Amino acid sequence: MKPARFRYFAPHTITEAAQLLDEQGDEARLLAGGQSLLPLLNLRLARPSALIDLNEIQALAFIHPRNGGLVLGALTRDATLERDPLVAARQPLLAEAAHYVGHLAIRHRSTLGGSLAHADPAAELPAVMLALDAAFTLQSSTGSRTVAAAAFFKGPFQTALQHGEILTEVHLPGLPPRSGSAFLEFARREGDYALAGVAAVICLAEDGTIAQARLALCSVAPTPLQAIAAETVLRGRHPDNAAWQAAAEAVVDELKEPPADIHGSAEYRRHLAGVLTRRALARAAQRAERSHS
Amino acid sequence: MTTTVSERAWIGKDLKRREDPALLMGTVTYINDFKIAGMLHAAVLRSPYAHARIRAIDTSAARALPGVQAVLTGKEAAEVIGPVPAFCAEPVVEHAIAVEKVRYAGEAVVAVAAESRAIAEDALDLVEIDWEPLPAVTDALSAMQPGAPLVHENLGTNVVYDHVFTFGDVDGDFAQADHVIRRRLRWPRATAAPLEPNGAVCAYDPARDTMEIWSNTNMLNSASWVMSSMLKIPPHKLNFYPMYTGGSFGSKHFLAKVIGIAGALTKVTGRPVKFMEDRLDNLMANDSQGPERIYDAELAVTKDGQFLSLRLRTIDDYGAYFIFAITGNTNMMAQITGPYTIRSVETGIKAVLTNKNQQTVFRGAGSDVGNWVLERLVDAAAEQLGIDRVEIRRRNFIQPDQFPYKIPTGNVYDSGNYPGVLNLALEHFDLDAWRQEQARARQEGRYLGIGLATAQQRSTYSSTEFWFHNPAPATGLNSTPESVRISVGPTGGVTVTMFSPFWGNSPETVAAQVVAEELGIDPRDVNVTYDSTAHALPSAGPGGSRMTVMLAGAVHGAAARLKEKIFKIAAHMLEASVSDLELVGGQVRVKGVPSSSVSLADIGMRAYWFKLDLPPELESGLEGTFTYDHPYTTKPHDDRKDLGVFYPIMGHAAHLVAVEVDIETGAVLFKKYVAVHDVGTVLNPRSLQGQIRGGIAQGIGLALLEEVRYGPDGQNLTSTFVDYLLPSASDVPAIEVYHQETPSPFTAYGVKGGGEGGRMVAPPAVTSAIEDALRPFGVSIDEMPITPEKIVRWVKEAQSRRQGQSN
Repeated sequence: MKPARFRYFAPHTITEAAQLLDEQGDEARLLAGGQSLLPLLNLRLARPSALIDLNEIQALAFIHPRNGGLVLGALTRDATLERDPLVAARQPLLAEAAHYVGHLAIRHRSTLGGSLAHADPAAELPAVMLALDAAFTLQSSTGSRTVAAAAFFKGPFQTALQHGEILTEVHLPGLPPRSGSAFLEFARREGDYALAGVAAVICLAEDGTIAQARLALCSVAPTPLQAIAAETVLRGRHPDNAAWQAAAEAVVDELKEPPADIHGSAEYRRHLAGVLTRRALARAAQRAERSHS
Repeated sequence: MTTTVSERAWIGKDLKRREDPALLMGTVTYINDFKIAGMLHAAVLRSPYAHARIRAIDTSAARALPGVQAVLTGKEAAEVIGPVPAFCAEPVVEHAIAVEKVRYAGEAVVAVAAESRAIAEDALDLVEIDWEPLPAVTDALSAMQPGAPLVHENLGTNVVYDHVFTFGDVDGDFAQADHVIRRRLRWPRATAAPLEPNGAVCAYDPARDTMEIWSNTNMLNSASWVMSSMLKIPPHKLNFYPMYTGGSFGSKHFLAKVIGIAGALTKVTGRPVKFMEDRLDNLMANDSQGPERIYDAELAVTKDGQFLSLRLRTIDDYGAYFIFAITGNTNMMAQITGPYTIRSVETGIKAVLTNKNQQTVFRGAGSDVGNWVLERLVDAAAEQLGIDRVEIRRRNFIQPDQFPYKIPTGNVYDSGNYPGVLNLALEHFDLDAWRQEQARARQEGRYLGIGLATAQQRSTYSSTEFWFHNPAPATGLNSTPESVRISVGPTGGVTVTMFSPFWGNSPETVAAQVVAEELGIDPRDVNVTYDSTAHALPSAGPGGSRMTVMLAGAVHGAAARLKEKIFKIAAHMLEASVSDLELVGGQVRVKGVPSSSVSLADIGMRAYWFKLDLPPELESGLEGTFTYDHPYTTKPHDDRKDLGVFYPIMGHAAHLVAVEVDIETGAVLFKKYVAVHDVGTVLNPRSLQGQIRGGIAQGIGLALLEEVRYGPDGQNLTSTFVDYLLPSASDVPAIEVYHQETPSPFTAYGVKGGGEGGRMVAPPAVTSAIEDALRPFGVSIDEMPITPEKIVRWVKEAQSRRQGQSN
């Protein structure tokens, strides 16, 4: 298990990295934490001609408050997301979900941007981005653009990133008061890819009904999946078991062909998606209520 | 000779393992750390097909790659090495690199030696093979059908072994039974998956026609003569070095394939070659997959719950080769009737070849399977007869005054106190409290289960096991010795030399503790070393939970010989008679006269450098060697109605487990785990508990997670640790381990082997707990691993069955 030969670059600035991407052509790949890319290289499933290592670019690792929300650099490590007080205060869902990424040793290397750009449908953070209505800055040698999370994930391991573009920043809007969130997943073992995962956000209105619900799932579709039908079902309802059950049914109906492998059939994943939806929504609502009291 | 417990200074002391500092500080040399001048690195191209004929191989581009020193196809390798040595009587031939056809996905097809492993792998990319794919057969039931594709055409069938062993009046006992408990049970294919895969560095010297081998094989001393035919070098010109092994779990036996590949490449290049499996190599082709069995199992029971007889029919998927024959099935005959007074037994074994990596043996070696099958039947009997699971076991236990106890197969259990072990387990578990908790949880719609297993853990194998399944053995080998050398140097330093490698167990701790006991010194002052086969005394190596028993016996014997000379020299020095002397705290002294003493250093100096001051009949030097043979083994009867005594040093354990099952997700959460083991005299509680906990972790892995899976086309679906799921720290609960000590009457100090017990007993205990949790649904568990998806499906099926009944 040794990788095939490749050229290696370690630029210090985003501009330099974007230039290298242009110069090295289609077969070049960006290396962030290496959580996914290194096993692919060692198994020779990926054979890039060049690796452009982003780890020396200090300007990519930051967490800033902005407009009640957050801006995060793409090179922010998952272990940082898990422990950062600002993330915990403003977007606890991100911290909660980051804990499910691999194991601690992996989370010290793996990055937010790497996970989003890799776009593994089983990964936690892409689903969290949908639930938090995130937007991403994509930068190239010719300029930058912003893409909403909902328009970013195109298919399994496919995104809106074009060749020459680097995902540099993640923008998360703030949540209104009386909001709560929860992330739940089920895996064969702690640290494994989830068989199903659910990111839920509940915002309560003054009268205690659900003003807005956001719900996204991982590992049950070719992309992270925003459960729009379930979100619609919940709007205006009282936060109770009947509501969660109705949302769970909507999710299960929405899942056309969940993936299947030796760890879980499509049917089981669909079933789990329903169970976890119910539980995650209940927990998010409980937290929303608690945040107000 | 035998000392009583109270007199012992070091046996039974809870000492830290002396192996650990070196392992933790990284100062030991594993195969992959080992470097030798001029060494090349090998990589292997593996078959993408489960079954295919090799029409042609073009290696020209690979050979032309700079840095590549040799490229060998199977045909080319066969010019310098012979087939892999096999213990089966059947003509099933395996080559380290496949010749003409491949029989499983992952079988080696081409090997490359290059200046680095990366270059060797680059070269594999350049090899072109013209394949003729053949239909693959991937499960035993299809492989048995007439017209199934043949894995080995020369056999004319895939059923390579088919025999029914009958011990006692099975038909009569079944006719007398009031109830027959019947279950069809499936045991999953697992693998040992040690952290360190198999590896070897081989260095051939064409001038001397000798080969030196650094490998993590355990059977160093058997390896020389067995491996000689493959390497085509006389045994006395092979020298195997014992290496530290990064885990084995009983899986690293001959390792003939890695030695064969490195051996062939060193012969053709004239340079040392390292072949170290990577994880893919190991998970696809390690030759240490466990059994994959379907049992039709029957237990004959009286209305009072007395077990009369056991009848088993086994279909076992052996994979593509058969190097250890049906050892995994004969092993369990050592304890097939468990701790119970079952008076007759019949076991039918059909061994079937398929297009998978072959089954051999690892931790449990088939006795793990036997325990699970029997305990499943016992739980089923309890349920069917309405007798409590604890009570039905008590009614059938062999009683402490019945030992030594001969079971129907002919094996003898040396000693035991099974009610004592169970009582201790119940005491620590608090069964009544858990039953109340279970009832309370069910009111809340939560499902707690309590699991129980009371089972055997045989130890100290005898080599008769490897051939008695054959009606006419080619070999009737029956020695299974282990030796040590203890030397006292001229300044009194004590060194123990062993000839078995470190295999992940605690041989150094054991040897030092026993030497300290016998010489009255501190174990920290004992140096422990290993020696290569060129200098070795007879040694069968680790396996079958034998090392603690065998090393204790060997050290005890060698110390006795050493002490004889020590006393003779001391008597001469002190002008006293030997019978008046005693050895205390590293000093030999006249009994009752402490002032009249000489130290081991005084005696050592005298022994090495003062020949003229020694008793004239003594030679210079001070050492004792001893070869300890198996303490109690006999030959099988010619008709195999009695297999003889082959695994008499019999341990026992009771596990009690509480779990909670989330019936919506299928998750299993451990609430409490109590394990009580009786492996005779405990030599070192700490190292034994480590063995037991590790074994239980592995047993939990088997019960819940682990399975080697093949697709319908024979592709290995579990060739990385993403898919072959081992239990991690978060999957294993805190395990309470307690000991009962019923000494063996046959071994030094009464010790028994404890290396496999945890894994042998955990699977039935965990299965029993989950079945108990699901009892409200009437789910009966007949297979493992018990995955969350299966639990959800079983509960749903049970619920719809009930709805169907009530409609």
